[in-house]
Amino acid sequence: MGDHGPGFEPDLDEGSIVARAQDGDLEAFEHLVLAYQYKIFRLAYRMLNDHGEAEDIVQETLTTSWRGLAMLADVDAFGGWIYRLATNKCLDLLRKRSAHAVNCTQPEDMDTSPEACARAVPAGSDPAHEAEWSAEQDGLTAVLNTLPPAQRACWLLREMHGRSYAEIGVTLKISPTAVRGTLARARHEIAEGMSEWR
Amino acid sequence: MSEQPLQGSIITSQLIASIATRTTLETPGVLRLEPAIQGFLARLAPAALQNLRSPGSQHGTYRHNGVTATISDGTARVHLEIATDIAYTALQVAETVRQRVRESISHTGLTPGTIDVTIVAVEPHRGATML
Amino acid sequence: MALEDIPRLGCGRSIDRIWATIDRLPTAHEEHCEQCQTARTRLQRLGEATRLLCESDLHDPALKPRPGIENAIMDVARAEVRRGSSILLRSADSGTTEISEQALSSLIRVAAAAIPGVHSRRCRIEIRSATASPAGEDHPSGTTRTATNAGPRLIVNLWVAAAQGIVIPRTMEALRQEIGNALPAGVGIGAGTVNITVEDLYDV
Repeated sequence: MGDHGPGFEPDLDEGSIVARAQDGDLEAFEHLVLAYQYKIFRLAYRMLNDHGEAEDIVQETLTTSWRGLAMLADVDAFGGWIYRLATNKCLDLLRKRSAHAVNCTQPEDMDTSPEACARAVPAGSDPAHEAEWSAEQDGLTAVLNTLPPAQRACWLLREMHGRSYAEIGVTLKISPTAVRGTLARARHEIAEGMSEWR
Repeated sequence: MSEQPLQGSIITSQLIASIATRTTLETPGVLRLEPAIQGFLARLAPAALQNLRSPGSQHGTYRHNGVTATISDGTARVHLEIATDIAYTALQVAETVRQRVRESISHTGLTPGTIDVTIVAVEPHRGATML
Repeated sequence: MALEDIPRLGCGRSIDRIWATIDRLPTAHEEHCEQCQTARTRLQRLGEATRLLCESDLHDPALKPRPGIENAIMDVARAEVRRGSSILLRSADSGTTEISEQALSSLIRVAAAAIPGVHSRRCRIEIRSATASPAGEDHPSGTTRTATNAGPRLIVNLWVAAAQGIVIPRTMEALRQEIGNALPAGVGIGAGTVNITVEDLYDV
């Protein structure tokens, strides 16, 4: 187990890894945790704008996935399932937030100021990376945070994570056609918003 | 080690567990001892569970990292949970472990009882060259 | 929600259509339509900013959970892991020897890893344990026999994914043989019946 387990076959397909994790193979599950924790974190961070809460989403999502693995009928559906769990946990959290403090829906309170966005850029990282961080991205993240949560999730899942219309539809409980419409409106609003940024 | 038999002195279940651990780990083909917590607890009788609260008593059960030692009426019973090297035959490794543990228990003056072995993993030895 | 909900410019073009063709040269209409040109420019900016944000988020060390998160997840998994049932291999006065189903399935997977073009998946093992009469029809109830000479009989059910393009029957026969050798060598018992189900193909 864990540190002691047999070496993992390097080219193993994800379906096989998921099937082994379903069998209780901890090494296989750890492989999935390593493969998805950063993706889920990036999604949750862009949804919630809070490092600690994004970490909580990562932990809750992957722990839930371990407990529910046996119920997953199609081993090739693991990725979509993980994204669905994580997205819905983010949306739940945002609903709780807005229920607790009405003001939280105001963009100003959502940590979307240019300074807050700039904070996502690590200080002292390599200069080429920092130079890449443009004002355009400040604008993009700021406008993104003004979108309603479901629309933001839709845009992030498609544009930042490359998930399919069908999968996003299942996650947000809307049709693939509605996903297309939501995306178009999100792009339109972000593009408009960015043109008015500073 | 003293030549004197240990009868009359206090042999605790903790000591038996520690002797069994050392003997097991020195047996070729054993990679490690590994507790299979849930499976083990399910097998424990409620009475034995109570004894867990007084580890190391002369009459009682001591459980630690894949080894459970129980002493009652001068007889020591041991349960071992081991991972074996795939290059060895697990059933033979278990048999060798059983004989060696019985022998080391008899050196304490106690009577060796059943030595149960559960193989919880059969794996390639880390660092061994894979063909 | 219908397609009519997709925002349209004053000239009637949908944002969706402009987005879909943004990498191509502007159409004759777009070249002369001011609204289309503005929308194209803005969407191009968005596309570029999206690409850069994606790239920088991916490589931003601050946008990662702390290592403690992974440990916490694995701690929960370890605490709750099911090892499956134990299979009795041998029973005698000096003690019993059991093996966990998981130990057997991991051994079977190691064996399967030696066969190119096969990825093992789920593994279920059915057993007639050493204490159970190995051939009930030969030993009517009431007959006693020492369990030590009655080896357990395994029924291994293994599901695998096969590489695209391999010859499946030949590969599965090799896999069956490999498992048939690995169990006596690694555990000391016969493989019994090995049922293999190819449930998926994977790309190479």
